Amino acid sequence: MPESVTGAGDTPATPGGGRPAVEAGESRGASGAAPPPRVAVPLSSGAEAKPHPSEARALLLTALVLLAGVALGAAGFFVERGMSTWRPEVTRTASGWRVVQTHRLPLGGLALGGDDLVWGCGPSIVLMDLSSGRLKLLGPGPASRTTWDPAASQRYVVWFEAAARNAGEASAWVYDSATRRRSQLATLGDVLSLPSASGSRAAWCTTTQGGGPGIVAVDIRSGEQLSVAPEYGVPIMDGDLVTWPTRTGPTGMPAAWALVDLARDRRWSLVPSAALSNALFLGYDLSGRTLVWGETDPASGRGRVVAQNVDDGVASVVAEVSDGATLTSAPSIDGDLVVWAETLAAATGSRVMGRRLGGGPSFLVRDVDGRVLSTVAGGDTVAWLARRGQTTFIETAQAPR
Amino acid sequence: MTAWARRRTPLLGAFGVRVLLWLLVELWVLNVADLLLTRYSLSLGFATESNGVMDYFFRSGTVPTVVFKLGIVTVGTLLLWRLRHYRTALFAAALLTAVFAAVVAYQALWVLSF
Repeated sequence: MPESVTGAGDTPATPGGGRPAVEAGESRGASGAAPPPRVAVPLSSGAEAKPHPSEARALLLTALVLLAGVALGAAGFFVERGMSTWRPEVTRTASGWRVVQTHRLPLGGLALGGDDLVWGCGPSIVLMDLSSGRLKLLGPGPASRTTWDPAASQRYVVWFEAAARNAGEASAWVYDSATRRRSQLATLGDVLSLPSASGSRAAWCTTTQGGGPGIVAVDIRSGEQLSVAPEYGVPIMDGDLVTWPTRTGPTGMPAAWALVDLARDRRWSLVPSAALSNALFLGYDLSGRTLVWGETDPASGRGRVVAQNVDDGVASVVAEVSDGATLTSAPSIDGDLVVWAETLAAATGSRVMGRRLGGGPSFLVRDVDGRVLSTVAGGDTVAWLARRGQTTFIETAQAPR
Repeated sequence: MTAWARRRTPLLGAFGVRVLLWLLVELWVLNVADLLLTRYSLSLGFATESNGVMDYFFRSGTVPTVVFKLGIVTVGTLLLWRLRHYRTALFAAALLTAVFAAVVAYQALWVLSF
């Protein structure tokens, strides 16, 4: 400190309001001209009067303290960010984004909703804004150590968190991309299915209060729960419609689809048409009134993507692969766009294909250097999760109109 | 305490007192910033209050939180100002201001990254 003695610097250079000192021997009488007042020397220091404390220097010193703290906080933030294991390498491509795993935890659980791409990475649920490429860690919260694959609607992302996989109790969380807020949606028992989200509703299967399985739908805005069916099923919902496969055989191919229209409180079944015999079931998706699924027959080498109207049951083969080519992932549908992935007999990689149900032939979305694990369609955006060696990656592209 | 401090602690000059005043002002402002950023982060649903005492007040409501948070730091700054003639007060204020600045900077970057 430039000044350390109490009071020294406080002494004004000029006496100000103080009474001037009087020299010894001087008369205080009114007669004669009074000598001009003299400046008194401070008796305490015995030195010259010091300058007034510099306000600017004081501010500069406090600013340095402030800056040191800010630098420490910023360094902590960036060090912590650099040590995170969920953050992948993100690069913009000619038609979308490429997200590559950078740590040992593989990417998985791909979902596409509105302008957001969501995936899982170990226990982390990660969201990427497709317009900016900005990443956001949605979960898990501090009380949870495990998560399940997320689901996404135009506005909401829904996922489950729990202390452990077999904890017997989990919580459903929701992220609202409009308000950028994360909140707990519901508590549930055992996780018997992944969530599905559409509009402002989500559906999943969990253990009910009676102990048996049950499919429930939840209004995301109010948190109100509705029992869809008191049975086991892996539901997918779109709009007011919830569907799940029933009576699945050893190949996973369902004997029927259960359908529930929440708006009309109506339930019915649909027998899959155009199915291959003894085919392995790859998975299914729902958009509007159209159900799509993929199946592959290892014996004949044929694979098929089938679309079926849930009201009249009319089915159509969207794509069929044969001659050594195989379907590698379940199809995904959004609106009239159906996408799937297949490998070619001669090629080492695979390709993502698409077709519009409104008409026209199937088209190539993108050749992929690796094996495609899942595809997802949202609007005109197509995203796929693929693996090459030990590295998983996600790519996006725009489907042609 | 004062007698002990007077024996042990070097005294602070006017310049040091001026620095202390500005540090205390900064500390108080940073405390308000910390309160606002914490409240906002908690409302986003991504953060949790790890300070048990503050967690209790945040759960109690906004008014008790504001009263406690501003009250405790105001009392602290007034106490340091009362001890302004001692150099230890300056060191304590500098340390507290730096720590608060670090916390606020971290929180601000975290909020901006969302």
